[in-house]
Parts: sequence; C-alpha cells; structure tokens
Amino acid sequence: MASLARLIPRGSIPSIKPSQFSRPLTTCIRASRQPSLRPNTSHFNTPLKQSSKRSYHSDLHPPLPPHSYTNSQTAILEAALSHVPTHGFTNTSLTLGARDAGFLDVSVQLFPRGEFDLILFWLASRRGLLRAKVESDVDFFKGDVDVNGKIKALILERLRMNESVREQWQDALAQMSLLGNIPLSLAELHALSNDILSLAGDASVDGSWYTRRAAVGAIYASAEVVMTRDPSVDMSETASFVERRFEDRDILAKKVEVIGQCFSFWGNTIVGVGRSYGLKI
Amino acid sequence: MASMSTRSAWRTLHYSAKRRAFQPPTPYRCFSCTRASQDQKHDERMTHFGFTNVPESEKESRVGAVFSSVASSYDTMNDLMSLGIHRLWKDHFVRSLNPGSPLSARINNPTQKGWNILDIAGGTGDIAFRMLDHATNIHHDVETRVTISDINADMLAEGRKRSLSTPYYGTSRLDFVEANAESMPHIPSESVDLYTVVFGIRNFTDKQAALNEAFRVLKPGGVFACMEFSKVDNPVFDAVYKRWNFAAIPLIGQLVAGDRDSYQYLVESIERFPSQEEFRGMIQKAGFMIPGKGYENLTGGIAAIHKGIKPVPKA
Repeated sequence: MASLARLIPRGSIPSIKPSQFSRPLTTCIRASRQPSLRPNTSHFNTPLKQSSKRSYHSDLHPPLPPHSYTNSQTAILEAALSHVPTHGFTNTSLTLGARDAGFLDVSVQLFPRGEFDLILFWLASRRGLLRAKVESDVDFFKGDVDVNGKIKALILERLRMNESVREQWQDALAQMSLLGNIPLSLAELHALSNDILSLAGDASVDGSWYTRRAAVGAIYASAEVVMTRDPSVDMSETASFVERRFEDRDILAKKVEVIGQCFSFWGNTIVGVGRSYGLKI
Repeated sequence: MASMSTRSAWRTLHYSAKRRAFQPPTPYRCFSCTRASQDQKHDERMTHFGFTNVPESEKESRVGAVFSSVASSYDTMNDLMSLGIHRLWKDHFVRSLNPGSPLSARINNPTQKGWNILDIAGGTGDIAFRMLDHATNIHHDVETRVTISDINADMLAEGRKRSLSTPYYGTSRLDFVEANAESMPHIPSESVDLYTVVFGIRNFTDKQAALNEAFRVLKPGGVFACMEFSKVDNPVFDAVYKRWNFAAIPLIGQLVAGDRDSYQYLVESIERFPSQEEFRGMIQKAGFMIPGKGYENLTGGIAAIHKGIKPVPKA
C-alpha cells in the first residue's frame, strides 16, 4: 500500500517546482519515468520549439539518450560501423573499429556481448537518428496528417536507414534471434515502436497503448525480414509490403469492431427479451 | 581400543586447523614493563594470511612456503578440489579473451606484431599455454608472445618443466620471469597488451599496488583480466560450497599432497577475498574502465572473471 501511495502524487509533479523536492526524490522519479509516457501530441506542429514547449516534465526530464554506451565504447562502435558493409556485424569489424579509434585489438573486451553489442548499437543509434531527423525537419510529414500515415512514414524512413547494411542484415537478425539475445532484441524493438508512436503523436492511454505498440513492432520486424530478400534497388517491394500490412491491420480492426458490435447487439437483445418476460435485470 | 584410535586420528585430521590458529603467549614476560612495549612488531602494518593476521613483511614468505610445498601436486589437487571444473573455467577465460590478431585484421597491416601478454602468477603455465594455443590454432598468429611472471621459483620450475612438452619451448614466444607483481621495474610502462592474473591476486600482500602496477605496464587500450575465487550468491549453494571448502579440501590436501596447512590457507584466503563488487571497485580505483557489469560469475559465483580496460587519452 505504501508503494501505491507513493506512486499517486506523480501526476502532480509538473505543478511543483523541482526545488521543493529533496534531491534523492527528484532523481528517483527521473530515473523511473519513461519518456514515452509523456503525452506529446502538441509538439508535432511546432517541433522546433519542442524543448521549451513541452510543458509536461520537460524541465525535469530531458529525453533519455538512445543507448548507454560510454564515450570510449561509442567511439569504437562508431568506427566499427563503417566496416560493417564489408565485414558484416562481426568481431572483425569491432577489431578494425577499435584500431581506427586508437585502441588495441584487445580493447574489444570493452564489449562483453561481442558482435551483438555492435548490432544493438546500430539499432539504438539509428533510432536516435530517426528521432533527431523528425525533430529537426519541420516538414518531415509533408502530406500525412493522421497518426497512421505518420507511423507508416516513420517505419519506411527507419527501413531506409538499413539500406547500407541490407546485405548483412540477415546475419544480424540471426544473431538477434539467439536465445540469450532475444530479451534485449525485443526490448530494442519495443523502444523503436515506442519512439515511432510517440513521434507520430499517438496519445492513447488505454489498452490500445499495448496493442498499438505490438502492431507497429510486428509490422516493422516482418518488414525487416522482407527487406533482406527484397531484390528491388529502391526497396519498393518492402514499401508495398508495409502498405499491405497496414491495410491488413485496418481490415482486422474493422473485423474486431464488427464482432464487438455483434456481441453487444446480442447482449442487449437477450437482456431485452429477459425483461419482457419479467426478469428483474 | 580400535575405535578410540580411529577417533583420535579423525580428531587430528579435523581439528588440527583450529589448533594451528592458537598462538601461545610469549614464554618469557618481563613483569616490570607493559606487554605492549615488549611487542617488537607493534608498529608494523598487519595483513591477513588466511584467517590469521600476520605482519605485511611476513605474508610474502608464508605464501611462498605454501606454493613451494604444493607446486608438484598442483594439477592433481586442482582437479580433485574443483572436480575438474577449473579446466573449463580456464578454457572459458582464454576463449573470452580471444588472444591473437585475427588473420583478416593482419592482412595489409605489416605493423601488426601480435600481442604482448603478461601472465602474472602463472607459474605452472596453465593459462599461458592455453593462450598461445588459442592464438596459434584459432588465429594462425605466431607472433603473440607470453611472459610468465611468478614470485615463486618452485612454481616457475614446474612451468618450465611443462613447457618442454609444448611447441613453445625455447622460442621467443614464451618467457619466464621471477618477479613480485607489486613492483616490476624491469617491465617498461605501456608495453603490455593483455595482463592476466588467474587465481593469484588473492595471495598478494597489497592488491591495490598490484593493480596500480598493472595499470602502469599496460598500453592505453590494454586489458586487465583476472579470474579469482569469489562469493557465491545463492545461499543454499553457498552453504554446500562452504561445507566442501572447509571440510573436504584440507582433508584432500592431507591425503593427496600430505600438506593440510597449505590447503587450509587456500580455503581461508578464498573466504577473505573481497566480493565481486568490492574488487570491481578496486579495479576502478586503479584507473581502469569497466565493461558492462565488470565481472562474470562462473559456477554460481565460486569464481569470477573481472576485466578492466586502460583508457586511451583523448587526442
């Protein structure tokens, strides 16, 4: 109960000045809060003013960095990414990257997960780039005004970022599907769908919060698999695949709605019939 | 009568450790002066030798005596005590370090001269031969070389004897040095790629000094890697493990190596070694960067692999 009581005042945080909190409390809240929970529907129309405009928690909570690698690790990983198109997501790329960054061959010990760290860094840094791109480019969503159109545009943009490593991506997917790597891969997929939805301005706060993230994650992950086998140069087949999945999703949503209507009709009818026979319901 | 003698023999086996810890008071005491003023070693800093405290100057010779006495039966004893698991740990340790430059990274790069590895407290060569094997067989790298450094001449002699049966005997890839790891003036600063110490740092008198010295000899970007007994995290498993340590190991030592005290010291020194988190803090204090969590537990924390990387100064 005590923990529940401590959770409740969270909603009132913005109205309280940070100075009124003792230091440990603010840091604890900052650490526990996910950026995605912020309703940031409004900042889309004025992306440039975003930092000053985001009234809700904006001063207390700068957006979290996309990954938690240290400076030295980032330097090596950045350098290693330039070797990925030739050597793939392998330890060789990491070793060459370490050399480029002025480290030794042995310094790849900085990465306990080896090549999987390289894959995770690729995913996290591209996710950060996607956010940066949307936030810096005012007319990123030219014609798309509705949330679904924005989501589609973001998924396609993220897929286009994989263009340079298309040949290597199958290996990366294989690495990500190893048993020990699955939890981190799924966490990264969730972070991406989270980012996409919050960038698209989705403000759902009910059960659809989960279903939407699951849907975007599923569409993106399946599109990645299609992308690795896409023979077209400009990834047009992948784009049309995404298009079809969105249509599927709409059809599915319609079906669910119709089934729900059907059930509610039958429920009402049964209650009505019962009442007409004098049941006290 | 027979049962009496068995019991007394059992008692000798079982309680000699405790009896050893008992130190008789000084036989002569001058009653006209205080005991403290009589104590010659009062000012000297103390350190632990197993569960007993000894002056820092004495620890080195005492540890030396322990390892001189166990050198010849070292491998048999390790196999018996760890049920052979120590070989798996050592293999895993070397494989995770992946010593040697891969062929793909050596092509078009004539400056690449293999790794310079310093194996501290590696007298019997367990780790050194594994690393050389890995570099040669996995990476086809015949440049990587290992310097085995140990404070104990008997352990080094054991390693030399073993190196006779390896292809590295008499080549420039293998070198034996008798030195104290807390101060190695014969090794220039920033000359080593990989510094390993496996089941050794526990016995050092001043662990922090050894870590600082490791930091000095490593090149920027070089790696400090250490495998050492550590703390078991599961309480149930810990109880079983402690039982094994304090009851079985000294007994095995007495029966196989004929030396109970050395193995009593071994289990006591395992008990006194800092936990994973404390030791990670010591590595950080020496100036190393810690990758990820900083340590990897083996077999539920009986042993742990610690790693630290020397940072590269910003250009």
